[in-house]
Amino acid sequence: MAEAVIETEQTPESLCPFCESKSGGGHFCPRCEKIQPVAATIDYFAFFGLPRKLRIDEPDLEKDFYSLSRLFHPDYFMNSSELERSASMERSSMLNDAYRTLRDPIARVTYLLALEGYNEAEKKAPPDLLEEVFELNMQLEELRMAKTMRDEEEMAAARKSLADALASLREKLNELDGRLFALFDGWDSSLGSDVSEKNEKALLDQMSGLLSRRSYIRNLVRDIKEEL
Amino acid sequence: MPVIELSLSGRPKSARVVGIDLGTTNSLVAYMGDSGPDVVRDKTGNALVPSIVYYDDERDRLLVGEEARDRLITEPRKAIYSVKRFMGKGSADVREDLSLVPFQIAPDSEQVIRFQMGDRVFTPPEISAFILRDLKRRASQFFGEEVTQAVITVPAYFNDAQRQATKDAGHLAGLEVLRIVNEPTAASLAYGIDRRDEAIVAVYDLGGGTFDISILKLKEGIFEVLSTNGDTHLGGDDLDNRIIKLVFDEIEKATGHDCSRNPTLFQAVRNEVIRAKHDLSKSNRTRIRIVLPDSSSYERELTRDEFNRSIADLVERTLERCKKALADADLDPKQIDEVVMVGGSTRVPLVREQVKELFEREPHIELNPDEVVALGAAIQADVLAGGRRDLLLLDVTPLSLGIETMGGVVAKIINRNSTIPASASEMFTTWVDDQTGIDVHVLQGEREMVDDCRSLARFTLKGIPPQPAGLPRIEVKFLIDANGILTVAARDLRTGREQSVEVKPSYGLTDEQIEQMLLDSFEYAEEDVRKRQLVEARNEAETVMRAAEKALAERSQLIDEHERTSIRDTLAELRSSTDSDDFQVIREKTKQLDDAARHLAELIMDTALIDALKDRKASEVAEG
Repeated sequence: MAEAVIETEQTPESLCPFCESKSGGGHFCPRCEKIQPVAATIDYFAFFGLPRKLRIDEPDLEKDFYSLSRLFHPDYFMNSSELERSASMERSSMLNDAYRTLRDPIARVTYLLALEGYNEAEKKAPPDLLEEVFELNMQLEELRMAKTMRDEEEMAAARKSLADALASLREKLNELDGRLFALFDGWDSSLGSDVSEKNEKALLDQMSGLLSRRSYIRNLVRDIKEEL
Repeated sequence: MPVIELSLSGRPKSARVVGIDLGTTNSLVAYMGDSGPDVVRDKTGNALVPSIVYYDDERDRLLVGEEARDRLITEPRKAIYSVKRFMGKGSADVREDLSLVPFQIAPDSEQVIRFQMGDRVFTPPEISAFILRDLKRRASQFFGEEVTQAVITVPAYFNDAQRQATKDAGHLAGLEVLRIVNEPTAASLAYGIDRRDEAIVAVYDLGGGTFDISILKLKEGIFEVLSTNGDTHLGGDDLDNRIIKLVFDEIEKATGHDCSRNPTLFQAVRNEVIRAKHDLSKSNRTRIRIVLPDSSSYERELTRDEFNRSIADLVERTLERCKKALADADLDPKQIDEVVMVGGSTRVPLVREQVKELFEREPHIELNPDEVVALGAAIQADVLAGGRRDLLLLDVTPLSLGIETMGGVVAKIINRNSTIPASASEMFTTWVDDQTGIDVHVLQGEREMVDDCRSLARFTLKGIPPQPAGLPRIEVKFLIDANGILTVAARDLRTGREQSVEVKPSYGLTDEQIEQMLLDSFEYAEEDVRKRQLVEARNEAETVMRAAEKALAERSQLIDEHERTSIRDTLAELRSSTDSDDFQVIREKTKQLDDAARHLAELIMDTALIDALKDRKASEVAEG
């Protein structure tokens, strides 16, 4: 492993490290056109020049990702100064991290919630699902038992009931995603309008709740898939 | 951390950056020519250098490639092959391999394997460096100027330690490694599937020791890897080992010979099995014939069906990996537009059939599977040298990166298949009052527990001012660069100060060890290249002359007078040429003698092999 990377601070007010004119916080210095170190405060939406909206045109995002990649990638800075190479590395890693987050609607809303001060969704069982989860764990246990006993008949039966449970969970996930995405539109139209902060907060709360439920169900799905 | 270093000088624009495929079985170097990428060939037209290194400690003599391969049978303890399988590994990782190769491992090999060769010890990066040095020499000779910068390829599924070991090898060989590129990605560049619309391409790469599958999206010159999977311990060597084991068992059952304990016999079997495997790519049946130490022989027929049955589960394992890569890319096999075959082992008919079946399409085999990776590396080298901007590789990290948390659980901070460079920041704090250091353990792998992942490195955040527990806030930034190698930076958020991070890799060489190796290897230093080449040429001439003299003295009755005279004449010419300082003339004459004596050598080879086996057996009995 190599030694630590160079880290720098950069804000809209700070100066371009190459020509010392105001950098404006953009990707490149408006005057000397050299690639700039990344501002510590910039978020993924701002990095792509996007408002904090949840509906994103994915083909457009990909297009921007490709064209920015062509501008930032370390491949094109091999013969540049140490500082430019370091800025290129920072900027393309931020680009990759931002694209990975924004292109996926679930990662995107999770990120937005974090920006708005919400902690990562808790993974405790939603109360209305407790009974179902209990039943599921029983079935999982039965399958494990049948596996150890090499009881083919029991295994087949347990697999069948787990497969059914899996299908029903997937349906729940789909339904959850539908509700979540419907809230996306509410959030996007509230941005820039005079919807009260209270309404905004209510939207974020709802999305956070749905995400928590979703992540719980997804873990269940993962466990079942592993056991099957 | 120092303040920003304002060195605006940049680095000299590279004259020539070459692409190197450092393979398990063969290595080669390629470059970007006027009409596209091409491989560097030697005078006889060979591009492939067998990845074999021979070292004779008594005469401090080093041979690489074909010449080293010739020693595998005669002096198996002094030749190392398939060293790639040992890169970035510790002795606990390679126990199984060691049972199947005749290498001797020195003590203190837990973090880096140390091969014992006579009274000297070499690590895998050093052995690889000898191969790289040879490729560097070839390229420098070809261009008539010294080549110092290279792109080196590695299996996509190589972990951090294996990548770092490859970079170290380049460094030890006197090369500046501008980039470590993944082999399947390089291959996709070489194929350059030119479609105006976008295409999804699967690259199936089964080499001598490793397997990779990469799924890429090609669009407007961007080669974006969507997912990758593989097994760095699955390749042609493993196919060979299945048949070697079969032959060993049969020989032992029939004659009581334990082949695994006789390195010469081991190599004879291995060579014969590899030949048979190659045969079976073209025909349905072949014969395996081995001369045993007691001069009796073992013989059997091997059909393609039987070969297929014994390797079926290995091929199946590659298909499982393909399915995982497809799942990670969220694609069905039907959504793959093109399938590209890379690596010598994709010549095996069963492999082709199974891949075709999985993806439901005829795979591309137009380009030589042994050369395509090096060609792609040359294209990437050209991009890095500033030659072109129309192409861009966006590769991914094959394994998730995580840190150890309470209870030996690994918290993932960068997921596998993330586009690189990729980064993640984590906040650390103290557990007890006035704690001044925090230990961080970094791992790679997909499992949840520390014990099931690969330890990558440990480091301590030091110099934290004494404060109540939980108050310090140290931000650590993990960055996987475009080579797939991790760097770490830390900052105390309260003071804004950069923290020094001294990272101790779990596997591999430290910077100090590498510096020491560079010092130790002065006898191979660049200034001495010419001198060394002269010495080597003379040594080689000496060996060939001695062999020719011996052959003439003992077996001249096998050939006619005309041939005898021709051998004697070329021998005399060679002897007088060794007085000159021109290593090229000596080499030329050596080759002439070698050619003149080849027929005689072939005639006496069988008996010589039997003799060698007898000698070996006698000496081992004496030693034991």
